[in-house]
Amino acid sequence: MSECIVITSGKGGVGKTTTTANLGVALAMMGKRVAVVDADIGLRNLDVILGLENRIVYDLVHVIEGECRLRQALIKDKRLDNLCLLPAAQTRDKNAVGPEQMRNLVAQLKADFDYVLIDCPAGIEQGFKNSIAGADRAIIVTTPEVSAIRDADRIIGLVEAAELPEPTLIVNRFRAKMVKRGDMMNKDDILEILAIPLVGMVPDHEEVIVSANKGTPAAFDEKSVVGEAYRRIARRLTGEQDVPFVATEEPDTVWTAMKRWFGLAPAKEVVG
Amino acid sequence: MMSILDRFFGTVRGGGGSKEDAKSRLKVLLLHDQVDLSPQQMEAMKSEILDVIARYCEVDRQRVDVRLEKAEDQVSVVSSVPLRRVTGRAATVS
Repeated sequence: MSECIVITSGKGGVGKTTTTANLGVALAMMGKRVAVVDADIGLRNLDVILGLENRIVYDLVHVIEGECRLRQALIKDKRLDNLCLLPAAQTRDKNAVGPEQMRNLVAQLKADFDYVLIDCPAGIEQGFKNSIAGADRAIIVTTPEVSAIRDADRIIGLVEAAELPEPTLIVNRFRAKMVKRGDMMNKDDILEILAIPLVGMVPDHEEVIVSANKGTPAAFDEKSVVGEAYRRIARRLTGEQDVPFVATEEPDTVWTAMKRWFGLAPAKEVVG
Repeated sequence: MMSILDRFFGTVRGGGGSKEDAKSRLKVLLLHDQVDLSPQQMEAMKSEILDVIARYCEVDRQRVDVRLEKAEDQVSVVSSVPLRRVTGRAATVS
């Protein structure tokens, strides 16, 4: 049974595109047939994060306007042949597409793929409405910041108003050290405010910039902590129960271990 | 004793704790977003409430507190309106 999941946030710059790319890669690595769709028409980025920017011939708007067939616009990832990208148009705007057309497009994709992931643009206007039109459920991406959580709350309301099931939450750019000294909201603080199920936490890590530079999402890298966090989220998305959260801290030094033993250092904060 | 140990082991650090600011600001922000009341409207409402109370009692306008609060999915307007000395004692209408 195929499923279409929209990755959204309200606020820009919280990591929707990175999340979409990594979950696409992680699900494809599990053997699922995955299509990732860039719905940010006019400001496409998913192609760049995936390192597929040089292979675009046709885009989503070409497909919708009947200038090419869907299969011609899909770019197959050479590293994972069950992963495809449908890029956004760069020279058009969000009004080039409507919700009904997106619903049709998603229905076509669902015939050929197990998972269709939609990278939603920031904001709550046309691009957001188009992105959720064909989706079966939504993942909300937020960061542990006041403005991002405020927007996430707004988006949760809009997703529920659109009669999608209760969305799930990914907390991105989590910094264990800042949480430990009380300078960043922790998992429980955020869940207390947003009150939706958590599907994963992703640490704030230099790897994300490096992988964006290279066009190779961290999920490809077996040794990456960020990649591991996304791979675990992918497992939870496929319905696997009780996937443990991964510890992102560096291993204890003898000194820290001793402090922990005496109860003078807080318990390890886990994410994943 | 604990504080000496804490200092020795470096458990207590300078700064920190700003997450509580974030949390309390967010809670207020989300309440206002949910009931769709801007700070200006809130101010206007506060002033009208005070006008009504002032018709009956002498209100200490400097110390008035009117805000939104949420408990178990129920958003309420909570106000604390201190009155000036009426019968020799301070009284509060809540």
